[in-house]
Amino acid sequence: MGDRIEGVKKLFTSKSARVETNMGDAHYDKLFESCQARIQELKTQTPRENRLDIDDLLQDQGIDRRSFMKWASAVTGMLMLPASFTPLVADAALLMNRAPVIWIELSDCAGNTEAMLRSDGPKIDEILLDIISLEFNETIMAAAGHQAEAQLEDAMHTFKDKYLLFVEGAVPMGMNGQYGTIGAHGETFYNHLMRISKHAAAVVAVGSCATFGGVPAASPNPTGAVGVMDVLKGKPLINIPACPANPANMVGVIIHYILTGQVPELDSLLRPKFAFGYRIHDNCERRAHFDAGEFVEEWGDTGAKNNFCLYKVGCKGPMTFNNCSIVRYNEGVNWPVGVGRGCIGCSEPDFWDKYAYERPMADANIKAPTGGVEKTVDEFGLGLLTAASIGIGIHAVASVIAGKTENKEY
Amino acid sequence: MNNTEIEYDDKLGTKRVRVRRMTFTMRLIHWVNVVAMVVAIATGLYIADPYYQSFIADDAVDKYVMAWNRWGHLIVAIIFDVTAIIVSYLFFFSRFEKHYLKILPTKKNIIEFGEVTLNLLTLNRRKKFDSSHSDSFNSVYFIIFHILLAWMLFTGLQMYVHALASGDSSIGAWWPWMLHLVTDWTIPFSSWLVGTTATGGNIMDVRIVHHMSMWIIIVWVVFHIYYQIWRTIFWQEGDIAIVVGGSKFMKIDKDGNKNIE
Repeated sequence: MGDRIEGVKKLFTSKSARVETNMGDAHYDKLFESCQARIQELKTQTPRENRLDIDDLLQDQGIDRRSFMKWASAVTGMLMLPASFTPLVADAALLMNRAPVIWIELSDCAGNTEAMLRSDGPKIDEILLDIISLEFNETIMAAAGHQAEAQLEDAMHTFKDKYLLFVEGAVPMGMNGQYGTIGAHGETFYNHLMRISKHAAAVVAVGSCATFGGVPAASPNPTGAVGVMDVLKGKPLINIPACPANPANMVGVIIHYILTGQVPELDSLLRPKFAFGYRIHDNCERRAHFDAGEFVEEWGDTGAKNNFCLYKVGCKGPMTFNNCSIVRYNEGVNWPVGVGRGCIGCSEPDFWDKYAYERPMADANIKAPTGGVEKTVDEFGLGLLTAASIGIGIHAVASVIAGKTENKEY
Repeated sequence: MNNTEIEYDDKLGTKRVRVRRMTFTMRLIHWVNVVAMVVAIATGLYIADPYYQSFIADDAVDKYVMAWNRWGHLIVAIIFDVTAIIVSYLFFFSRFEKHYLKILPTKKNIIEFGEVTLNLLTLNRRKKFDSSHSDSFNSVYFIIFHILLAWMLFTGLQMYVHALASGDSSIGAWWPWMLHLVTDWTIPFSSWLVGTTATGGNIMDVRIVHHMSMWIIIVWVVFHIYYQIWRTIFWQEGDIAIVVGGSKFMKIDKDGNKNIE
């Protein structure tokens, strides 16, 4: 009931999804100067335990300066900045090791970490995530147990009020949070998050679980899982949903933070507008087949072989806001619709219950508005219509048999 | 307001007086709405779940099936927008008939509403109200439809405006700006209606309630048609002719009183 009341409160405070792509020359001139000053200041700082050098890393992977600058101009475009910002973005990328990051995992499958680690040949996005000053990450760190906890304490102390906190996974709130604990002290995920976020400069929720609860929060949500934004108040928070979140968008947020010292413009769900301001559908390579009414009717049919639209096998591109139809995954290699399966709306709240059922909404077994019993919307509507028809039928028959017609004589 | 026109004698000595009930504009709006609704439902069901296939051998440019369905759906939606604005104007300012006076919860209106309902439930055995003018049951039923229609328009325009993601449209940037301003509230409201286990609303919820509301409107239409036919048969006042010719009959007895029990 509480969140329903919150929903009503949000009624008239909901921010528009509109993306402002051109803020005017005056704005960009001013922004350029402030970004330049910030980059200069960062350059004078010594890097944090500079274990890896970006130039060496890029060279090792066979990525030349030209490719790197091409990547920088693409990121500039993605962040919706004018082309003149490209050198600043390149500088900011090289300075990413000045940003200390603590990465924690809660109720999740570590899929976002995996997505970065297992990418086919590290691309520039993934290399950059290697050189950020990653102070703590359970999945990839060598330390374990008390040693790992000591490392976390040390990082929190050393970079107090300066580190970026990346959170992966939902926060189970049921049973006083006892569904998820971490470490030898049995600290609940909720307390863990609250303790570490207290002295973070900003919090980045990565993946659908950390942003909106994701799969752990899917109906019936036995652990009472919620997203970070539900429990964390009074901190700058950026949501980067999707399952997994695209490394390109993580890099975009970090670069934006390094460049401007601010969080990017966010929509009503705290998602950066540069990445989540557009529908997948409007930039989809199969869009022409949608307009033509050419659909894959079942897996492997002629339509599927001809790359027809996947709407009838449940693609939710028309209702999903994400940039994966533009930037794709693994630096433009491919994305779900590209490999012939529909979008499951993984960057939207409640995606597991309301998007990921591989058929159109009108043909899906989703909860009726009354809650409880699973019914399709159409069955519910048809049931309502049938009930009305039966009522009308009874009334009509009764009227014919027992009704009183006005003087039939004329 | 003098809506009665022609009088003529009846075999039984009672008179039947023609009562004007709908102006030409009102009838025109009614039939435009009927056509628009049939198109909206036929195309809307296709958009929700494409229920017929186009011939695969045709070129995509010739088919354009989904696009035509969407075009038709959006065009009738815009027509609905315009008629809804005209109707809401006439609702308050029509010189012909002041509908809003009939939905005010006054004692007279509540009694009339009850009497009309009883008339329906008692199969016309009890008829203690003046059936010559638009009664308050009729007005309330009319309002329910227009609230449903407005709800469809707000949710529909919310889904529509996301196709204008650039913030611009063929008629200027003011249009998507205004649509966001006017319809963004439907997202949290729809999520509230549908219920959610996650944080925040999404346009899927808007889609679900838009689709659900269609069924409620169809139920509304089915009862509406049934009731108009039922009135025509049992009241014998030619009610069905209102929407075609604009008038029905009122019976007046020998003494010139309205035929009310």
